[in-house]
Amino acid sequence: MRQTFISLAAGLLFAALSAFAIQARAQALDSKVCQNCHEDKVKNFQSSVHGQNVPKTPQGAGGCTVCHNEGADEHVKNNGGSEIRNPGAKTANAEETNELCLGCHKGGSKRTHWDTSTHAERGNSCTSCHTMHQPDKVLTKLTQPEVCFKCHKQQRVEVNRMFRHPILEGKVVCSDCHNPHGSIGRALMKRDSVVETCYQCHAEKRGPFVHPHDPVTEDCTLCHNPHGTVADNMLKLRPPFLCHQCHTPHGGNIAVLRGQTGVGQAQITGKSGVNYTQGRGCLNCHTQIHGTNNPSATNPTPQFMLR
Amino acid sequence: MKSSKKELILSRTLAALAVAAMWSTVQAQEAPDIGPVAMPGPGTSVSVGVGVASGDERDRARFGMFNGLRRHDVNGLIGFRYEQPYNASGLGLKLEGRNLGLDNRELNFVYRRPGDVKVTADYSEITRHDPRTINTSLAGAGTTNPTVNPGGVLIAPGTGQNLNLELKRKGIGVGVEKWLTRDLQLEFAFKNEEKDGSRLFGRGFACSRYWADAGVCSSATANAWGVLMLPEPVDSVIRQIDARLNYASGPLVLSGGYYGSFYVNHNGSIRPTVNGPLGNQFTDTGTITNDAGLLSALALPVALQPDNQAHQLFVAGNYALTHSTRVNFKYAYTTARQDESFSGMGLTGAPGGRDNLGGRVDTTKAQVGFSTRPLQKLHVSGDVAYEKKDNKTPLDLYNAEPVCVPPAVFSSTTRSCSPASGTATRFYTNGNMSPKKYEAKLQGTYFLTPMYAAVLGANYEQEDFGQWTPTDVAGGVSGLKQKLNETGWRAELRRTASETFTGSVAYHQSRRKGDSPWLQPVNFVSTGGQTGVTEVSADQIYSRTAIFPFIYMDRERDKIRAIGNWTPMEKLSLQVFADRGIDRYHAPTDHGLRSFQMGTVSLDASYALSDAWKLSAFASRGRQTVDAGHSTGYDAILKDTATSFGFGVKGRPMGQLQVGADLTWLDDLLKYEQTADPTSSANATLLASTGGLPDVTYRLTRLNLYGEYALQKNAYVRLDYIHHRTYFNEWTYNFNGTPYLYSDNTTLDAKQRQTVNFIGATYVYKFQ
Repeated sequence: MRQTFISLAAGLLFAALSAFAIQARAQALDSKVCQNCHEDKVKNFQSSVHGQNVPKTPQGAGGCTVCHNEGADEHVKNNGGSEIRNPGAKTANAEETNELCLGCHKGGSKRTHWDTSTHAERGNSCTSCHTMHQPDKVLTKLTQPEVCFKCHKQQRVEVNRMFRHPILEGKVVCSDCHNPHGSIGRALMKRDSVVETCYQCHAEKRGPFVHPHDPVTEDCTLCHNPHGTVADNMLKLRPPFLCHQCHTPHGGNIAVLRGQTGVGQAQITGKSGVNYTQGRGCLNCHTQIHGTNNPSATNPTPQFMLR
Repeated sequence: MKSSKKELILSRTLAALAVAAMWSTVQAQEAPDIGPVAMPGPGTSVSVGVGVASGDERDRARFGMFNGLRRHDVNGLIGFRYEQPYNASGLGLKLEGRNLGLDNRELNFVYRRPGDVKVTADYSEITRHDPRTINTSLAGAGTTNPTVNPGGVLIAPGTGQNLNLELKRKGIGVGVEKWLTRDLQLEFAFKNEEKDGSRLFGRGFACSRYWADAGVCSSATANAWGVLMLPEPVDSVIRQIDARLNYASGPLVLSGGYYGSFYVNHNGSIRPTVNGPLGNQFTDTGTITNDAGLLSALALPVALQPDNQAHQLFVAGNYALTHSTRVNFKYAYTTARQDESFSGMGLTGAPGGRDNLGGRVDTTKAQVGFSTRPLQKLHVSGDVAYEKKDNKTPLDLYNAEPVCVPPAVFSSTTRSCSPASGTATRFYTNGNMSPKKYEAKLQGTYFLTPMYAAVLGANYEQEDFGQWTPTDVAGGVSGLKQKLNETGWRAELRRTASETFTGSVAYHQSRRKGDSPWLQPVNFVSTGGQTGVTEVSADQIYSRTAIFPFIYMDRERDKIRAIGNWTPMEKLSLQVFADRGIDRYHAPTDHGLRSFQMGTVSLDASYALSDAWKLSAFASRGRQTVDAGHSTGYDAILKDTATSFGFGVKGRPMGQLQVGADLTWLDDLLKYEQTADPTSSANATLLASTGGLPDVTYRLTRLNLYGEYALQKNAYVRLDYIHHRTYFNEWTYNFNGTPYLYSDNTTLDAKQRQTVNFIGATYVYKFQ
């Protein structure tokens, strides 16, 4: 009992200090007062974690005025006729808004690199993505991409392509791969690099292998577009064109199809045009393209990812 | 705005989530939800319904690739939410299930006291249904011991059994976040994901003169080859552990811990039985292959991915030196290992009795960044980063090649030694290069006015791929580079903090150049077994037909990007986005990748007809163009043009009723413009004859309609209608009715046009 009391007291003290840290001048204003004019906003707020009247939440620390402090009294006195601080307004200063949010949310491990992140450097604020007075779409898998697509237009189209991750179904979301609050990986990767991020779900590609394919450990996006493409396995180009960007092929063939006029046995045989254009293309033979761990030193050996 | 008396204190997403793919990409900027007809709130509710989809499995192949609606005509749409409101001590609990009647079901549990503790648990399934149907005689498909031609080659393509491949993932995750003291937080997460099923795979081998002379196969005739479709059996587990301690007090935020990733594959290799004869696409003309050596080569084991694991220790943080100056940093050390027993994988023939690779790569990554405001109007940020991969994998003689022992020479025409008696086998090792990378960036933002800011930034990157392993051979490429440098800068003008118009225009340029000589691979075969690479100048390595990997080529990159958000009136907002970029590649050759261009233009709009009716729409067009030249066969201009638009409407015609519609349309057109290399008249003739590769078009039309009607204060029904139509004329497995044939006459196919109509009805009830 005594421990509970101490914990509760400590919690309340911390909440009070947090609120103080957020804005020392914050004046508690009953949210019922705000509800008189802003019913929907207050009701949505109350259904969120922020709106729970428990320690360490804005509601617990003072209600609406924890964030909307400056000018609150005058705003109420004047029946809404004077300005009140609104961190979510388009005219709000991004740095001031972020400072307000980070007053409570600076801890944890996900925001240590916000200051040097691309999102911060582009002038974004927390409220560019998060909403306090409507259900926060970012926090729901099925709706999160809608928020990201406000700026990332190319990706909005790509996720509708034939070969894609299950983003439309809410099974893979942007924040599974990206940390929008900043990271040391390129393109705000959730892990430290592109490959380490992909290994979260595709750890079998990590190896190391007896016969590696060097681009695999360099950057998966050299060959794949994870947002979606019109080639199998989200390849950026169909083989053989993808492979021929780096490799000297065997024979001076052009890409042809079985059934085309003029395509005969010479184009269908072995390593020729049809067999590196159709099916899995070059991967028909170079099958373990991410690397193979086959150690056999017996001819034909598995080098060139043949087996 | 006042709410209806029949307002639903329910989560609308609960029902919507029960039906896959119910959200739309038709969301313009600033498009708010329609209002309080269905507001989320704590409570216990259930969602029960049924969904009926038209057509059969082949009709639904693309529609049902991930959403669990491919296999069955009728599906249960079941979800629930149990939510215990936060009590006086601040504890809250939520348990939610969605898609419970489908094969992509999931359960989520959250227990939290804000600022103190959060415990989460989740279970998730998803099945990827391969969108193509396979017709084959393969026995044991999806196992490690499939049998090709169990009863002889299929007499005619399409007369085998239909096979649909599926790959199922089942994941369980738990997480704990607990503030141990006022400043110290423990964060722990564990995830276990099982992958089970099979996916498209295969193997192939051609018995050229080269291999015939080496004794691998007995005939080097033009038809002595085989390409087999062998589904990869998948039965593996990925486990991840993330444990960290976070400290936050005053100016310091610190996070340190351990991240472990473990991959376990229960399958080691595919060991097929390959029965002859092989049809090899000439069954109809009676030409078959039955070379014993070839069949044996095709039956050699194919290694599947070995078990591996990675362990990372890291520390990261952020420190406020002053109110306006912060530094951040991260240091991470990772060791990745792969030492699965070869014999345990069913693989033999390792050199020197070695039983595993002993693979080990240690990676060190360090980064320091800063952000400061030295003047009221100036903000400066930047960082430097370093990464080193130390490959400690031991070397061994894994590779064997037939070589030409002088005085025999290798003939590039016959791809064999002349005389053939000069052919012998020589060995070389694997590689273990250890690359390093340095990166730095600096950016300054000057606020010209409270609304306008000018941004100038610079970046630098140096990559050192490490010294080429002298006992290894670089195969399949014309040249390599050890070091690259890249410098770049960007400028941006930005308008912010405005009710009516915000936006930016930015230009970015970077130049990548080699910082070391070209490395020319020693021709292992023609030199009789010499390994490694030779440093040469660009002039020395120049060849009109050489192909250099584009990651080593010099690159000029230019990009411009503009975005504008305009709100001319409260009801209307518009957004325009445009970007254009080009990468130009340079190497001592006339072939290979020459350039990559991309561009996108997009327009979004949203309009509020009234408080009860909202509209949104977008139109977008993008193109990517690759200019690449095959060494001796062709030059190719590859264009991918994607045109897309969407339209959305949400409305509340009456208090109890809400309706919505989303239409998404995409047309993705891929053009493959091949030109025969001037040196090849045969290719020019063939190209004229075939007419080149046909365009590939992927077209999607998706219409979602929904309506929600409140039956009472705590219950509503939801009706969903989805019209999903696709057209995909790929030639990958079928050209104009002529299928691509595997050597056992296996074929793959999918309906070019697929139309699915889906109707779902769901009843949602909240317990009071």
